[in-house]
Amino acid sequence: MRKTLSCLFTVGAFMAVAVTSSLRADDKVVKVGILHSLSGTMAISETSLRDVLLFAFDEINASGGVMGYKIEPDIVDGASNWPLFAEKAKQLLEEDKCAVVFGCWTSVSRKSVLPVFEKDNGMLFYPVQYEGEELSKNIFYTAEAVNQQATPAVDYLLDQGKKKFYLIGTDYVYPQTTNLILYKYLLLHGVPVENIGGGLRKDDSGKVISAGKYVPFGHTDFQQIVAEIKQFAASGDACVINTINGDSNVPFFKEVVAAGLTPSDCPVVSFSLAEDELRSMPTKDLVGELGCWTYFQSIKTPGNKAFLERWKSWLATESYPGVVKEKRAVDSPMVLSYDGVYLWKAAVEKAGSFDVDKVRAVLEAGGISFAGPGGTVTMQANHHVTKNVYIGETKADGQFKIIKTFDQVYGEPFLLKGLDDKLAAMSK
Amino acid sequence: MKHSRLLKSVALVLLGVLFAGHALAAPSIAPEESALRQKFIRTLLSTGAQQQALLGELADSGSKLVRDLLTSWTRGEIYLYQDPVTSTTVPLLLEDQQDANGKARGIRIDNGLYLTDASGKELRFTSDDLNTADTDMRLRSTIQQAFDMLSLADPDVDARQNAVIKLGYSQKLQYLPILQARLTKETNAGVKRALYEGIALLQLSTSDSSVRIGATQKLANLGSIGSLDTLRQLAANKTTDPAVARAATNAVEAIERHITWVNFFGTLFHSLSLGSILLVVALGLAITFGLMGIINMAHGEMIAVGAYTTYLVENIFGDGITLSPFGYSFTLPGLHASGWFYQSYFIFAIPLSFLTAALTGLALERSVIRFLYRRPLESLLATWGVSLILQQLFRRIFGANNVQVNSPTWLLGHFAVNDILFGYNRIFVIVFAVVIVFGTWLLLTKTPLGLFIRAVMQNRDMAACMGVRTNRVNMLTFAFGSGLAGLAGAFLSQIGNVGPSLGQSYIVDSFMTVVVGGVGNLAGTVYSALGIGTADETLQQLLGSPVMGKIIVLCAIILFLQWKPGGLFAARSRNLDN
Amino acid sequence: MRRTPTNFETWGVTVVAVLILIVLPGLNAFTPADSFLHVSDFSIGLYGKYLCYAVLAISVDLLWGYTGLLSLGQALFFSLGGYMMGMYLMRMIGDLGQYHQPIPDFLVFLGWSSLPPFWKPFSSFPFALMMIFLLPGLLSLVFGFLAFRSRIRGVYFSILTQALTYAAAILFFRNDLLLGGNNGFTDFKFILGYDLRNPATSRALYLATGLLLLGTYLLCRWLTTTKFGKIQRAIRDSENRVLFSGYATSSFKLFVFVLSSLIAALAGALFVPQVGIINPSEMWPDKSLEAVVWVAVGGRGTLVGPVIGAVAVNWLKSWATRAYPDLRLFFLGALFILVVLILPGGLVSLPARIHGWWKHFRRPPEPAPAGAKSAAQPSTLNTQLPP
Repeated sequence: MRKTLSCLFTVGAFMAVAVTSSLRADDKVVKVGILHSLSGTMAISETSLRDVLLFAFDEINASGGVMGYKIEPDIVDGASNWPLFAEKAKQLLEEDKCAVVFGCWTSVSRKSVLPVFEKDNGMLFYPVQYEGEELSKNIFYTAEAVNQQATPAVDYLLDQGKKKFYLIGTDYVYPQTTNLILYKYLLLHGVPVENIGGGLRKDDSGKVISAGKYVPFGHTDFQQIVAEIKQFAASGDACVINTINGDSNVPFFKEVVAAGLTPSDCPVVSFSLAEDELRSMPTKDLVGELGCWTYFQSIKTPGNKAFLERWKSWLATESYPGVVKEKRAVDSPMVLSYDGVYLWKAAVEKAGSFDVDKVRAVLEAGGISFAGPGGTVTMQANHHVTKNVYIGETKADGQFKIIKTFDQVYGEPFLLKGLDDKLAAMSK
Repeated sequence: MKHSRLLKSVALVLLGVLFAGHALAAPSIAPEESALRQKFIRTLLSTGAQQQALLGELADSGSKLVRDLLTSWTRGEIYLYQDPVTSTTVPLLLEDQQDANGKARGIRIDNGLYLTDASGKELRFTSDDLNTADTDMRLRSTIQQAFDMLSLADPDVDARQNAVIKLGYSQKLQYLPILQARLTKETNAGVKRALYEGIALLQLSTSDSSVRIGATQKLANLGSIGSLDTLRQLAANKTTDPAVARAATNAVEAIERHITWVNFFGTLFHSLSLGSILLVVALGLAITFGLMGIINMAHGEMIAVGAYTTYLVENIFGDGITLSPFGYSFTLPGLHASGWFYQSYFIFAIPLSFLTAALTGLALERSVIRFLYRRPLESLLATWGVSLILQQLFRRIFGANNVQVNSPTWLLGHFAVNDILFGYNRIFVIVFAVVIVFGTWLLLTKTPLGLFIRAVMQNRDMAACMGVRTNRVNMLTFAFGSGLAGLAGAFLSQIGNVGPSLGQSYIVDSFMTVVVGGVGNLAGTVYSALGIGTADETLQQLLGSPVMGKIIVLCAIILFLQWKPGGLFAARSRNLDN
Repeated sequence: MRRTPTNFETWGVTVVAVLILIVLPGLNAFTPADSFLHVSDFSIGLYGKYLCYAVLAISVDLLWGYTGLLSLGQALFFSLGGYMMGMYLMRMIGDLGQYHQPIPDFLVFLGWSSLPPFWKPFSSFPFALMMIFLLPGLLSLVFGFLAFRSRIRGVYFSILTQALTYAAAILFFRNDLLLGGNNGFTDFKFILGYDLRNPATSRALYLATGLLLLGTYLLCRWLTTTKFGKIQRAIRDSENRVLFSGYATSSFKLFVFVLSSLIAALAGALFVPQVGIINPSEMWPDKSLEAVVWVAVGGRGTLVGPVIGAVAVNWLKSWATRAYPDLRLFFLGALFILVVLILPGGLVSLPARIHGWWKHFRRPPEPAPAGAKSAAQPSTLNTQLPP
């Protein structure tokens, strides 16, 4: 009995010391939200963003935190369910009082949380290429705007002598808008209408409202479409602009390969395929196809090399649940999330406070930059980010070989109106 | 000609020795080859117009060495070494064999010897140490044309055909005499046709009107789709030469008629192929649903089981695979097969997919389904629960991403009949669908098990009274249906992607097929799969929009079921409460 | 299964109704924000969402538990009601959108400069209300008429409803339907002149949903006690006998189908302003399947069961997406299987089951003549449900 009591007393004493010493430790903490789908259809892509955010937070905490405050990540799962995203956003802002939230992948998820962020005056950093035509004072878009991905790729193709362009995408807003922008862009650059393939739909007044061929989500049968592309490309100097989303890319490319369309005849530039997606595609059949992002893992700068080293060593030592350690690739949305964290950190330190209005004012004032793995990124007054644009060719190992760089491209989300005006002026 | 042939054979022999025997010291090289090598290096290091001109000269050489070097160049296998002493750039290739550090010796392009430093010691590099000689798209297309020139005399028929077509489309008149010269020597019919087409295309750019008119007629006869754009341009240009414009218009119309026929037959083939996929996917469901009254929402996951089995088999034949579900990782050893043995992995994967899916189905039946035979709506829920669990299990074991399944070479590619493409993997699926249907029919009609299955389907209780062991029959039927789904998965892995949600993409379509065909009816499933496949492809072709096509097919199915609620071949029964 | 409510059920429902309708909003409005009793605005929004799901679950149960028709497409009517309300809310944004134009943003960047004709009447709330009833009602009327006339039953009917909702989802994803494409409608600002960001408006919407739930419950409760309800259950048990008894079963089924679609549409209409977004993924087949799962988990054939099931499963989802995102689907899948195999009556039947097992254990073991076995069976609530 006495022995038990003394044991208990010792244990209790140790515990008391441990607890009080941890209480005495520095407990200045700032809550930062991670709002991504960790289950459901989007989980494949979005879990990598959560991983890289945790990595960025650990890095910052190891070097002293933000203004001395340790970042405490608040991870919630949107489960690929858009009303749930809105609910989780409310939870992060109203209940957990997060200072900033990094999240969202699909435009629907962003649009569903936008009213919440505007109502509760929160701040969201959004890292994934999207169709533009949006600007909220509560969202900062480190993502690629259409003129930082689609139009540079088309410039490159025109430069390489391509004359015919076949547009294909999944039937939703991003491909529809991007293809419409590209259609007008191509017309502006002198490509005749009959050289733009996939089909055009016009409204009653004859105005083109949709350009290109669209397939529903989860479509798997591309036989007809690839046969059409082959006929389109038969006369040479043709290329395909591909905004098909996700899983449907695999049957598309398998059909392309089976039909004998090679990248040297008719290259395909894809805007939704990055290193992460290439991990699960038959890359030896895709050698020579193109991609265009503002970051590639194969960038040979010392900054990127160091980043990749740190990322690998963090992966080896971290112990967060659900983080996969093997066969990781790093791609543009991940790096843009990472850049977003550091841009926010720089803005907070310059503003001297976590208050959303103050941080926003600092970000909009300009001058907030970060030397990221993909090059220097600078926040613009229109909440988008100036960054480098890279065009790459797929290699057999799923990495990209960079074949062209556009330096420091200014991100402009509102493109349609400008193109319409220029087209009208051109036709006069 | 003789000179180049001699050169080629010399180069061939020397190259054979050079590239095959690493251990041998490199022999000395003939002076003609050395000149070619030097010219190649000059081409490599120059830019712009000079580079294009030098490439043209290299193409004229007709040398296989040049072809191989050009191939290496486009693949990024030529590296540039900066000699620290002389500050010159030495282009070299890296040999395949690497030492323990992963470094390989460099083979100089100018003389074919190993690269040595000043003291004569052979230098070793990894690919990261050196810069590659890069090519951009424009350069590559010029190199491609050089290839095509060199390929005109290639023994491989396809290579010659492709080369001719490319040269024809290049619109460069200088190739015209070359192609015409080739025509006199060509024996293969397919290449000859391509030669006629190429020559006619090039003749469209000559100045002689009658030649051009003749060329348009030739192109119309050949049904050359690729010449449409050029012909359309000619047809639009009515002012300069109206006769040519008229001839071009006629040619355009003829070719467009040809395209209509091509599309028609192409759509037929696509319908057959899509129908066979639907059939293979839905047949297992027809059996479980029809013969047992169980709605199996986990059918899609059985398909995924088959697809993942194919993935595993492919990896076992290759380098093995490490899986780490639930934190414990285990490795399946690889057989490191190569050549035809590796390519045959698919033959082994097919029965294995059937087996694994059948076993999974068996386990499912024994654990969950067997309590639900009289409650079809509950079976829907329970099997959906199982499908969720299985999907999560796949995510845990194989990762949430899709996995790469490489097709064996004998399934890749296609052959074209009159511009209609027939892909090998699709033909394989069609043939196998026929085999499967036939096999199932045999099973159901000629075997005792089939008799029992049909008896149980018609009247379970009566069959039990007659002494049929209904439990065993149920088990085997469900296993067989799941096994068929596994087979479907094996084929789908060649055509589409393999991931945890593979099943979800096919489940709605398979339900539609089964319900339209009439539950429990083999012939019904066949007809309905073919019918839905045809409708889908035809609508896609007519409307040009896959989305609207799919919607119309779904609405048509709904309306069709209003007309024939039991499906095409409704199961007739005296029992009203069926 | 009772046709008249037990005292226990009546009392239970009254208590819960008071809790939902009076206590919770009261705690939200009248207690200070840092008090222990305070119910936050976030929670009110969350509970409002759960209540909408509960109404949807009742609509599924009305068809399945009482009439024997498993509809895998109720989420379609839910979404259609939501879309109609959404169109009204989009009109109410006025020119406060991104482009500061009097037409919705997505129309602006599709190139429209004025409202398409079919959008114009939606600025009036009565019209929107009428459309909430009209569009889903008409669709269910036409579909049901065709289906029931052809005597489509059982699993065929379920699969047909699944095809319908799948086709509708794909259709609504298209941009040229001018209904927002896959982005749907979002960023609502005003409803009936009240600002949606105001907590008082959220409370009012929550109250409206609670009232809808109560009203639906009472309506269905009344319906099941009438002769109509008897015929409904008879159709579920054996449609042929009802047919032979002279009733036009297809008319009854059609009525119930349309009624449940209207209930679902109303739930959807109240769902949208509380959640702030409607998009075609709500029509995807798996949403309807989830609704069926709520009913199965809660207990079909009762009216309280679906409500319990909807709230329980969604609460579990909200909790699990925070705590165990990896294991969430395992939990859910295992839950369905267990409920179907072990608890066919759902959670509502749990007390009766436990009571039965308890009695079984308490009873001393007897020598087993043939009759004793049936005496030992639990005999309170009927746990045998027809297929």
